[in-house]
Amino acid sequence: MCHDARAASSCPETLRSRRHHIGAGLLALALATTIAPALGSAADRDERRGPPPGERRGPGEHGPAQALRDFASQPYPSTYRPLPRRDTLIFGATVLDGTGRRLDGADVLLRDGLVVAVGAGLTAPDGTVRIDGKGRWVTPGIIDPHTHLGNFPTPYTGEDAHHSDVNEDSDPNTAQVWAQHSINVQDPGFARALAGGVTTLQVMPGSTNLFGGRTIVLRNVPARTVQGMTFPDAPFGLKMACGENVVHAYGDAGRFPVSRMGAVAGQREAWIAARKYLREWQRYADGDERRPPEQDLKLDTLAGVLTGAIRVHAHCYRADDIAQLFDMAHEFGFRITAIHHASEAYKVPDLFVKEDVCAAVWPDWWGYKREAYDGIRENAAYLEAAGACVAMHSDSNVTGQRLNVEAAKAAAAGRRAGIELPPERVIEWITRNPARMLGLESRIGTLEPGKLADVVLWSGDPFSVYSHVDQVYVDGALAFDRNDPTRQPTSDFELGQPSQETQP
Amino acid sequence: MSGRRRSLIAVVGAFALPLLGAGTSAAQTSPSFALVHAKLYTMDAVQPLEDATVVVRDGKVQAVGAGLAPPAGVRVIDVAGRTVTPGLMSAGTQLGLTEVGSLPDTRDYALAAGTLGAAFDVQYALNPNTTAVALAVGDGLTRALAHPEGSAVAPFMGQAALLRLAPGASPLERARVAMFVRVGSGAAAATGGSHGAPWILLRNALDEARRYKPGPGVSGPRDQLLGRLDAEALQPVVAGRMPLAIVADRESDLRQAIALHDDTKLPVLIYGGAEAWRVAPELASRRIPVVLDPTLNLPLAFDTMGARLDNAARLHRAGVPVAFSVSAFHRTYNAGNALRLGAGLAVANGLPWIEGLRAMTTAPATMFGLGDRYGKVRAGYEADLVVWDGDPLEPSSAALQVWVRGVEVALEDARHRDLARRYAPAALRGDVPPAYRH
Repeated sequence: MCHDARAASSCPETLRSRRHHIGAGLLALALATTIAPALGSAADRDERRGPPPGERRGPGEHGPAQALRDFASQPYPSTYRPLPRRDTLIFGATVLDGTGRRLDGADVLLRDGLVVAVGAGLTAPDGTVRIDGKGRWVTPGIIDPHTHLGNFPTPYTGEDAHHSDVNEDSDPNTAQVWAQHSINVQDPGFARALAGGVTTLQVMPGSTNLFGGRTIVLRNVPARTVQGMTFPDAPFGLKMACGENVVHAYGDAGRFPVSRMGAVAGQREAWIAARKYLREWQRYADGDERRPPEQDLKLDTLAGVLTGAIRVHAHCYRADDIAQLFDMAHEFGFRITAIHHASEAYKVPDLFVKEDVCAAVWPDWWGYKREAYDGIRENAAYLEAAGACVAMHSDSNVTGQRLNVEAAKAAAAGRRAGIELPPERVIEWITRNPARMLGLESRIGTLEPGKLADVVLWSGDPFSVYSHVDQVYVDGALAFDRNDPTRQPTSDFELGQPSQETQP
Repeated sequence: MSGRRRSLIAVVGAFALPLLGAGTSAAQTSPSFALVHAKLYTMDAVQPLEDATVVVRDGKVQAVGAGLAPPAGVRVIDVAGRTVTPGLMSAGTQLGLTEVGSLPDTRDYALAAGTLGAAFDVQYALNPNTTAVALAVGDGLTRALAHPEGSAVAPFMGQAALLRLAPGASPLERARVAMFVRVGSGAAAATGGSHGAPWILLRNALDEARRYKPGPGVSGPRDQLLGRLDAEALQPVVAGRMPLAIVADRESDLRQAIALHDDTKLPVLIYGGAEAWRVAPELASRRIPVVLDPTLNLPLAFDTMGARLDNAARLHRAGVPVAFSVSAFHRTYNAGNALRLGAGLAVANGLPWIEGLRAMTTAPATMFGLGDRYGKVRAGYEADLVVWDGDPLEPSSAALQVWVRGVEVALEDARHRDLARRYAPAALRGDVPPAYRH
């Protein structure tokens, strides 16, 4: 149904992307604790003649044991630096802190890029910028866990019908591609999202492939390079996809997979290959092999999932498809972090709770394709009521500017169904819960002391369509101010465009 | 299907019983009733009428007034101060023309092959049982334009139909209400590769249609591009009875549309109009209306480089009539709530609140010749009414009760609400599979 470029802006079929990012610092710990299940059964371990990784200390046949290769290292590392900042006190505001608390007439103190205090009657040293928050609301910075900003940049043209940077749709398994290598930092959408309060984004490869590639987490702060936006030390993600898009992209062209069972088989075969690859690297690390295996970019990504270093973000709509993925994760010993789109998650909320997997959903998308046919507006609320982790996501450069309103719609549907959803809880759908999905809950997503000072100051209730984002702070720095044109970034692409000049 | 009723609405009076189940039957009756204690937006005034009474008889508004005593014997519905508006209208949807967007079998709004151009007329495909219709009504939409998205002969898209979303066999209110034409980058490829080609073809088609003479054995010159069906379909256009709805965003295309209007004196509507704010005075002086997407603020294409959230506000200030149609699938699948969100966003960016509501009622009604009977709550007008649980321009608000021409729509009879009931948290706790819950 994506007839024109405009339709494509919120058309999942055309949104294809993936991202990858690395958490090298966490890896050593992750290896010790997660690689054992990844290597499969006890029989498997016997076969490779050694104890699980982390237990082996002595030399192997061909030399001393060494650390397993880091499949999630980042050879294109972040050069992000926070914008110039001043310590800031926002006072007298209604604060939704992201931990389920609402504080009226409260202050928020930002110092050295961190939240240092939230509460009434805070004092701040001289030199602190004071912002009057009376009548206004303060929330954590909004996190969009699923966007294609940068790798599906506007403007769209006829070329996008043939090729674009969001989907490497040349093979159903492109786990080797990294979204960060597609990103055009001059996508005008970044600044629009910032004006909507979005401080952190996960850019995804598209959904044409069973394995679309690695995702990347960005700070929504303008930079000249992707590296300049890359969220330091955020874990990589792997974009997977089940369902219709893969089968359409390949099956319609007479290629594998043609069916859902083919899609699942394609994924299982890839995990089998990855398991073997990981074993080979483990044997090398253990000193049982003299020479390292040949590096394989595709298998690197999958092995990184098996070791727990790379987080799985799976595009999956239907409840039965979702349940297959959950079992696949058990079969191969990896963890799924989140199911994206998850239109039918409301049919299996118990599975999401049991598997401890988050659902990233829209408030009201349905109908545009078959697997979205049963989408209902109560989806997020029903999941929340069941105790599952829920986040709003955009998959769109249009609604990605208004995740607050998206959350408001989903919450309103839930309230009408009798589920209690006060604003202090709903805000978690666009702050704390997506932070958890990205593995960044210890750094962003709430306004607790010690967290990075990502803060949005709203002109009013953030769940009203009439409210505006007045200010956005990222790492304590004022990145956007609605009333100060010098604090409103614009992309190079839009600079000097005659049709954007407002006439007197 | 269940026909539960909202418990919020108190039913009093002697004739309450006949109303139960209204709207579920194909053979519609239209009983009399009165809404009392409404905060009523009649659309005849900027401010609402407080404590208003609306009396409805035979599908029409019979009387409106503050504190008016309802006539004896009619069902009285106390809305307890809630907001009441006319039923809303989207100026652009594919309601009734699609069930699942990705499935060609269920998609009737565009042609991928064949010979039909201007002659493509969506009225013959309208299907009132598409599930998006019930969802739209539940969101307060009672009228909509259903327009084609493309024909086999560019730049023509085909002819649009006016719908009223009442329960019944057909939603068709009036067919052939506008001839849709797409120009700009969306049409350039289909017409050879230049923004200029669609205009040349359109002007030529209008010329050929003017010269066309029906009759046996009569054909056009050898180099005539229009087929007979398309030439006949354009007759109301060249006669000035059917407006040209030109889908255009770029300023240069908007100026071409204005030039075409000036040259031909034919009525023109602009759809899209991302850069319309740049030609606002020219549009205003000719009273050329713009149907725009209030959520558009990105250069999604080079043609929309100048897209701004205050487009509607600027056009309104200049005197251009404005109505709304949102982009992509929301236009149809969330035809009601996406429209209201768009209106709210336009208001957040400078459009007066009442103009946001007008853009969903009287403005599109006027554009399509319905302004004398739909769009206002006024004696003699058709009784399309919505009771809201909050501000209708807040997308988190909902319609509590909806009447289309005096007939109440059973809002619970919608597939989405059935799914929501089947999988409600309490319902999921049982041992019986959901398939047994109806």
